Amino acid sequence: MTSVDVNNRVKEKTLSTVSRLSLQQVSKGFKSGNTNLTALENINLEVKPGEFVCLVGPSGCGKSTILNLVSGLEHADSGKVLVNGQAVVAPGPDRLFLFQEPALFPWLNVISNIEFGLKSIGVPKSERRERAMKYLTMVHLQKFADFRVHQLSGGMRQRVAIARALAIDPEVLLMDEPFTALDAQTRDILHQELQQLWAATGKTIIFVTHNVREAVTLGDRVIIFTYRPGRIKREFSTTHLSRPRHIEDQAALSLVREITAELRSEVQLAVAAEYGEAYEDEQIAV
Amino acid sequence: MSVTLETLSKSKPQSIASQLFSLKLAKAIGFALLKIVAFGLGVAIVWEVIYLLMVEVFHVWIAALFPAPVDVIISLIDHATDGTLLRATSASLFRLFIGFGLSLPLGVFSGLGLARSRWFKRVVGPIVLGFQALPSVCWLPLSILWFGLNERAIIFVVVMGSVFSITIATYDSTKLIPPLLLRAASNMGVRGWALFWRVVLPASLPAILSGARQGWSFAWRSLLGGELLTAGVGLGNLLNQGRDLTDMSLVMAIMLVIIVLGLAFDQLVLTRLEHAVQRSYGLSRS
Ligand SMILES: Nc1ncnc2c1ncn2[C@@H]1O[C@H](COP(=O)(O)OP(=O)(O)OP(=O)(O)O)[C@@H](O)[C@H]1O
Ligand SMILES: [Mg+2]
Repeated sequence: MTSVDVNNRVKEKTLSTVSRLSLQQVSKGFKSGNTNLTALENINLEVKPGEFVCLVGPSGCGKSTILNLVSGLEHADSGKVLVNGQAVVAPGPDRLFLFQEPALFPWLNVISNIEFGLKSIGVPKSERRERAMKYLTMVHLQKFADFRVHQLSGGMRQRVAIARALAIDPEVLLMDEPFTALDAQTRDILHQELQQLWAATGKTIIFVTHNVREAVTLGDRVIIFTYRPGRIKREFSTTHLSRPRHIEDQAALSLVREITAELRSEVQLAVAAEYGEAYEDEQIAV
Repeated sequence: MSVTLETLSKSKPQSIASQLFSLKLAKAIGFALLKIVAFGLGVAIVWEVIYLLMVEVFHVWIAALFPAPVDVIISLIDHATDGTLLRATSASLFRLFIGFGLSLPLGVFSGLGLARSRWFKRVVGPIVLGFQALPSVCWLPLSILWFGLNERAIIFVVVMGSVFSITIATYDSTKLIPPLLLRAASNMGVRGWALFWRVVLPASLPAILSGARQGWSFAWRSLLGGELLTAGVGLGNLLNQGRDLTDMSLVMAIMLVIIVLGLAFDQLVLTRLEHAVQRSYGLSRS
């Protein structure tokens, strides 16, 4: 991407009236056996271009389902899922997933993994190496271009996955607990890198996490979900906190406390429900 | 990052090709030969003891039916020096490599076909399972009627003997691909045949190679089965000749040759290839 692109995106972020992402009255249920489970109920969410939105909620409230709906892997039962005002019909490389696991291909070395994505979107062969190298350098792994995936640490793998995604130049990044499997120090570094990359590329990011501190560190907005059926409970803005942020920032502490308190009752509901089910299962098993 | 270049450069990435054709290969061959010699020596000593006891001391068996190891080696040298052994071996290996060379790609592609197309699976799946249950020599009468008493008849038996196990191994291996890799690929817009070439096939490669090893041993058995029941130059024919002349030394010499050839290709080519791939995928410790 050229610097002109970045400028355009920044302008877009402030001027655009069309949301990058828009969920309107979205509901989604799953059938498991005879029981119908409402995963998401009446979700309304607007995300502006270049915005960084974090989703937080108890386990099973439907956060991953929202990402699946946006990516087009799942379809809503009712309501609209729009990207740039267009209804989502199928998965596409304009909305890229980053999972908890890096999902790199073990038969390719680092640079070829990034080139894999470029080939997929039809970048001509002659341009792939240079572009892949550029994004590998962005995540500071240029020295590891020829390494095999299994020769990297978990944090390095996740950075390669980020580079692979960014190289494809998607409009939206869907990040589903991407740093959960990493140690605290590596996560720290990746928080800094992600904020830099986001500032440099102007991507729209939806970021799912269980870690309230992480959400406050990264997001412009933090959205709290209720336990089943998943609904938006409350939304917090973090724009009063200056960037780049660090997970230990004192200024963020009161907001972190407030969000954690808001979340606690929902998490208790989730635990109670899951404990209850386990308890019932035990009864049946006996 | 916490992981430095120094610690990682100890395990410099190596391509599969360079792993296979390096000095290490020479070492491995030397080591394998040493193992074979040591094993052979052990067998020869036990054999000699049994021979001395049963034939020379107690006269329970006769030397014509239980030769001494020396007789077998002499027979081996005799047939090696007059060229019969070389001619028979090359004729057999020719059939074997043509047959195995046909059934490997055939098996891999029909296995991938089974995984790819439900229609193909419904039609071909039961046939594969059924024919896999049929011992390969049972193809011989049909093969002779179709092709006549010639090379092609035996090659056909070799193909039939090994292709189905490779098909099944390939099909099974596609089921073991981590779903996350497929999801990541489809998220990047890789679908259809491209998904097959670029993800499914390389992801299945380690398991396909184990299947190929199994297919190799089936091919070897089928070949000898076919050769024993037909005339024409070959190791099976030499075995028959030994039987007709009550030349037990020849019979045992040929059995030895068959064991060594089968093992050598399996250990020096297929197993090495399998391990090299596993190492480069990070599936085993190198
Ligand atoms: N394919 C599916 N089939 C049936 N039920 C599903 C399916 N996918 C999700 N669900 C259910 O929908 C609910 C929401 O799932 P989802 O994965 O979105 O939760 P989550 O908020 O991401 O949870 P976690 O924080 O544990 O990842 C869960 O109760 C889950 O059991
Ligand atoms: Mg989830």
